[in-house]
Amino acid sequence: MTAPAAKLGRGRRIGRWRPLTDNPVFIKELRGRMRGARAFVVLTFYLGLLGAFTGLMYLAVAESAMSVSGQSNVGEVGRTLFVSIVAIEMLLVAFIAPAFTAGAISSEREHQTFDLLRTTLLGPTSFVLGKLLSAMLYVLLLLLAAVPLQSIAFFFGGVAETEVILSFVILIVTALLFSTVGIFFSSRAHRTLSASVLTYTSVAFFTFGLPIMIGGVVLMFGFSINNVQSTTPQIALLYVLGAIICTNPAATALLTQYVLLNQQTIGTFTYTLSGGETLTLISPWIPFTLLYLVLTVVFFALAVRRVHQIEN
Amino acid sequence: MAEELIIETHGLVKRYGKLVAVNNLSLKVPRGAIYGFVGPNGAGKTTTMRILTTLITPTAGDAYVAGYSVVDYPREVRRAIGYMPDFFGVYDDMKVWEYLDFFAACYEIPERERPGLINDLLALVDLTHRRDDMVEKLSRGMKQRLSLARTLAHDPDVLILDEPASGLDPRARIEIRELLVEMARMGKTIFFSSHILADVAEICTHLGIIESGEIVAQGTVTDIRRQLMPAREILITLLDQVDAAKAALAQIAGVTGVHDMSDAHGRRRIRVDFTGDDEGVSQLLQTLSARGIPVVNFAEETHDLETVFMRATKGIVS
Repeated sequence: MTAPAAKLGRGRRIGRWRPLTDNPVFIKELRGRMRGARAFVVLTFYLGLLGAFTGLMYLAVAESAMSVSGQSNVGEVGRTLFVSIVAIEMLLVAFIAPAFTAGAISSEREHQTFDLLRTTLLGPTSFVLGKLLSAMLYVLLLLLAAVPLQSIAFFFGGVAETEVILSFVILIVTALLFSTVGIFFSSRAHRTLSASVLTYTSVAFFTFGLPIMIGGVVLMFGFSINNVQSTTPQIALLYVLGAIICTNPAATALLTQYVLLNQQTIGTFTYTLSGGETLTLISPWIPFTLLYLVLTVVFFALAVRRVHQIEN
Repeated sequence: MAEELIIETHGLVKRYGKLVAVNNLSLKVPRGAIYGFVGPNGAGKTTTMRILTTLITPTAGDAYVAGYSVVDYPREVRRAIGYMPDFFGVYDDMKVWEYLDFFAACYEIPERERPGLINDLLALVDLTHRRDDMVEKLSRGMKQRLSLARTLAHDPDVLILDEPASGLDPRARIEIRELLVEMARMGKTIFFSSHILADVAEICTHLGIIESGEIVAQGTVTDIRRQLMPAREILITLLDQVDAAKAALAQIAGVTGVHDMSDAHGRRRIRVDFTGDDEGVSQLLQTLSARGIPVVNFAEETHDLETVFMRATKGIVS
């Protein structure tokens, strides 16, 4: 318990939240990630895939838009292109983002560098933050690199800047949560392989499993409720459905776009019940963003706690 | 004046379920010492070091490094130590200078001070010419030297090195040994483990011998030699008159025992346990000559630390 007073002066404690350029893990990860051909190969492959897909979509949509009315509905082409690019971006982000982080901490264990780091003055928060943000920065690069492709849609019209910005917010928030989930499992697993499996299982659950499961349950109840000619159960059902949509990035993006197109509003929209009453609801991207950010913070905190833990 | 202890443990215990890895261990490492922590594999050396480096918590007992409790002040302890585990932590894609830069940054050394520091460290471990090479391309000996440089990044008081010379070729082994001596000259206390006594014997000022999680002997090298080998052993080969020789020797002051040895090449041999100094030893020979006892060979059995070690550790572990 005796702490020599002379030593205390030397060990001036620097705050935990240092600027990013001062986070050794962040700098190290970025150096490693951008070194050699790998980062550029991934980026090229991603853009090539996205470009090829956009081209195919254009061919398909241009053909059908022409043929239906005899005159081309250019706005429709633009919108479809935009939606498809965002959809494929979402798929890629959902699967690339965790790939960067699922090995973040477990690989330090595998390389036996984890113990070295724990005997330094590097705090667990800086450690996890450096890992997460360096992965996020690369995801951001992928998203920004796709902006020119997205803006092809502007040629055709039918897409507003708001849509672009909101889709970007939804994509980033999705990447953030999935990356953090990857970090979380990485902090618990001893091997990168098991961390990856657990991460992808949860990501698949978030994107596909959860909506299917709850959707099924709601549909079953929904039929019985529709028979009752009262507004209260209908409202309750709407809220439940809304809540489910807000847990899923794809559903959120689609509904948000629908609201934007049909009501030209960002924050709230109105829904007319079968009884003629109108109900004001919040556009799903807001609760979605809040929910994903809260979950991100929770998983981040859990990961930090696990890293901080000393073996017994 | 009592020596200042830079590493001190009292009744340290570490249990893993039923297995007792470290049992009632009390270490005393004085400041400035080169302390060799020796014991067979599985004796508890690594466990002790992991407690001292705040990686694991002890089940019972106290451990202090540079005056700070490892349990209560882990951050202060980390600042005071440089730790090298018994494996080399490699990052795949990192250059030699980046490796040192990364760890220096982890020790909160300001960015503007790092380039100079890295150059100094590389010069110390003679790796300046490999500055821009990838870490994974280095030989084992070079990696070990780079590891040592890393432990010095934040100018710690104590270096805790787990088997620094294991798995190295003889040349690399000598280089590491010289580096340890150099670091001691820089004023660092060096606490290092080894299961090979030859590595330790030449450079240590202090020794701690551990077996089955317990300290068997501890102190300066000369102390330990005296403690474990209280008597010098002198082997005498005789032509005949063995009994007369034994009787004569037994009367000399300082002789604690005279034993028959197995015959060598048909000659009778005896072993004399003797606690006197060099003059006393020559007196023994003179006594025999004076009595007309024919001596064929008279030699002191020199015991290196290896023998001391074999005596201290009775092979319980291995």
